[in-house]
Amino acid sequence: MGHHGHGEKGRPSKKIKFASKEEYRASTAADDQYEEGGDDFHDGEREGKKMDFTKLELKPDHANRPLWACADGRIFLETFSPLYKQAYDFLIAIAEPVCRPESMHEYNLTPHSLYAAVSVGLETETIIAVLSKLSKTKLPKEMIDFIHASTANYGKVKLVLKKNRYFIESPFPEVLKRLLADDIIAKARISSEGMHGNDGFTVSKPVNEIEGGHDELINEVDVAAAAEEKETHSFEINPDQVENVKQRCLPNALNYPMMEEYDFRNDTVNPDLDMELKPQAQPRPYQEKSLSKMFGNGRARSGIIVLPCGAGKSLVGVSAASRIKKSCLCLATNAVSVDQWAFQFKLWSTIREEQICRFTSDSKERFRGNVGVVVTTYNMVAFGGKRSEESEKIIEEIRNREWGLLLMDEVHVVPAHMFRKVISITKSHCKLGLTATLVREDERITDLNFLIGPKLYEANWLDLVKGGFIANVQCAEVWCPMTKEFFAEYLKKENSKKRQALYVMNPNKFRACEFLIRFHEQQRGDKIIVFADNLFALTEYAMKLRKPMIYGATSHVERTKILDAFKTSKEVNTIFLSKVGDNSIDIPEANVIIQISSHAGSRRQEAQRLGRILRAKGRHQDRMAGGKEEYNAFFYSLVSTDTQEMYYSTKRQQFLIDQGYSFKVITSLPPADSGPELSYHRLDDQLQLLGKVLSAGDDAVGLEQLDEDADDVALQKARRYSGSMSAMSGAKGMVYMEYNTGKKGLIKSKPKDPTKRHQLFKKRFG
Amino acid sequence: MVNAVKGLYVSCDIPMAQFIINMNASLPQSQKFIIHVLDNTHLFVRSDMAGMIRSAIAEFRDANTYEKPA
Repeated sequence: MGHHGHGEKGRPSKKIKFASKEEYRASTAADDQYEEGGDDFHDGEREGKKMDFTKLELKPDHANRPLWACADGRIFLETFSPLYKQAYDFLIAIAEPVCRPESMHEYNLTPHSLYAAVSVGLETETIIAVLSKLSKTKLPKEMIDFIHASTANYGKVKLVLKKNRYFIESPFPEVLKRLLADDIIAKARISSEGMHGNDGFTVSKPVNEIEGGHDELINEVDVAAAAEEKETHSFEINPDQVENVKQRCLPNALNYPMMEEYDFRNDTVNPDLDMELKPQAQPRPYQEKSLSKMFGNGRARSGIIVLPCGAGKSLVGVSAASRIKKSCLCLATNAVSVDQWAFQFKLWSTIREEQICRFTSDSKERFRGNVGVVVTTYNMVAFGGKRSEESEKIIEEIRNREWGLLLMDEVHVVPAHMFRKVISITKSHCKLGLTATLVREDERITDLNFLIGPKLYEANWLDLVKGGFIANVQCAEVWCPMTKEFFAEYLKKENSKKRQALYVMNPNKFRACEFLIRFHEQQRGDKIIVFADNLFALTEYAMKLRKPMIYGATSHVERTKILDAFKTSKEVNTIFLSKVGDNSIDIPEANVIIQISSHAGSRRQEAQRLGRILRAKGRHQDRMAGGKEEYNAFFYSLVSTDTQEMYYSTKRQQFLIDQGYSFKVITSLPPADSGPELSYHRLDDQLQLLGKVLSAGDDAVGLEQLDEDADDVALQKARRYSGSMSAMSGAKGMVYMEYNTGKKGLIKSKPKDPTKRHQLFKKRFG
Repeated sequence: MVNAVKGLYVSCDIPMAQFIINMNASLPQSQKFIIHVLDNTHLFVRSDMAGMIRSAIAEFRDANTYEKPA
């Protein structure tokens, strides 16, 4: 709902914001101008004129139709419509979700989202026809023109990998010529073995194309098989330049997005891998759907599938590999997930033990036979330094092999340069990226478009909650007022480096945390994770409350010991984790998260942490709406009021709010009548704690630095955020681009320009 | 002898009182405006300072408020 004007910024909007339909519609199109062909509709001047929708022609049976389509490319979907499911499936294929609360979703048509749509097999006319069928109003002409303009060139050019060489193919030599007029593409070309035909293109007769069946309304139409019965022209390009060429072909440049499909059934060059899904591996409906987007026409398309944590991404990955049945390279972020992936492959598929190997610094298993699955980390592949002889051999094998599938986990965390390296080193026919959160605090999300491919599918979190596939989480922000003494120190200029430590160690926050732990341990018998990025706070809290903790420096042995105790022992119900627990530690038992300090304004971290408790627990029917346990997981974020933390906290929540979550604000924790049973009741104790914080060195109270910290941009404090964005399928709202406008390390202050102040505040502080 | 000073009675929460006290402390002697700190939540200040205090607090709160980029 990000763009629906005012009334949702700042605190007052914390509770679910929702406007009535009319109001909503009226305010939505207000903000933004739409520029055809541009990537950013929102760059234009804000004008009030667009508020007027009186000219839209309402269809007589509009009540039966679920959509409002606006000329600026926005589409609003009523989720209470009987046609919701069909409309949702269709919209998610052609448009980018901006915000998806309970009753009304906002989507945005962008060149990238339409590119993704045609790449999963939708034709221009189908898109327009279905859209106008679902729309309450006559489809605006601007929208129709936009769809035409964005999809006209799709499918004319293909990128093909043959025997370890890359070719650009097209049935239209004139299109190839146009591409070659571009400097970057011309330079990337490898002119080989003499001339074929007049243009120097290699000409070949097409192989028979097999069209698979389609089962969905929106997949009815075949892919633009323009190549049929025609000659194909092609030229070879330098493998190192593939990425650049793809980027030049995107809608915002030459606008000939390249189709990348792998006809694995007719690939006789690469040996088949004998693996099937085991019968007990039953993909859930949304997993099936995401796979059908990938394999819609019997071939495999490259792209990204977005599913929330705990929704079973690994089964999707393993299923994809078992359909392609060729060698598969699976990349994970760290050694723990490598083990987990290897385990998942063995769990869900019939792959034989010797056909799968792990390649990490600890276990260097050699590839036996000529086909198999290799699981490794991005780091291992992209590593630039000197390797051991053994690793060098394995890497050589990885480099020289033609992979059927490149399976990439957690694509949102991998630094872009590492991605580039990995993709340029490994040659694969098809790339599948998996992620839960398509947000990054740097501007690199857009890059995924040409590095991997369009977004093929994105699940709706709330639908999965309703279906009982992921836990129903109650999110709460607990407001803890600063004590007098802590706040006085917080305000002092000389303590600017200790601010974070001061607001995290705020005794009122400590008491709230202690209260919540007691409540959930004793009253509900829950398993609790407490997150603290600040090592000083982590240690102080854990020691005082006598709970085990894990952070970067905790040894593998000790980690395992603590986690085992947490999983099995009735005595250990709470653990403290630093940010090492954000991604890699799998703790399915936990159902409560208390966050006492966090990574500045990282929306990704917030979503990842929530993901720790999303795995559904308990019996399926109890979790359904109206079941015994409507909420079975709890996410608390403890925030010291009147401090910087408030700013970060709101920013962090944006992604989850866009997924339809609402944060309840709790202001009275611990309850007023709680006394000395909680720590730091006496002023003396509080002052002692304050003294400890103040006497600790500045570096001791800072954030923990981890090697694998990918989007460190968010670490830089208090920057101004630019609103301009284009993104994965051109999304805005949920994928902001933020960049550093100032010098590195320069600490900038927050907006103070009163014209930027929100109306509400203007009124209040006028 | 009775000594009367005209001033402004400020009532606020504990953190904001600290904020005003800190603001006062950072000013040179001649510009200090707090006449009396009455208790944790009440201050007695020079009567001409209302606007200044208000705007300083507004600015402080703004800095701690996140606005979603449009």
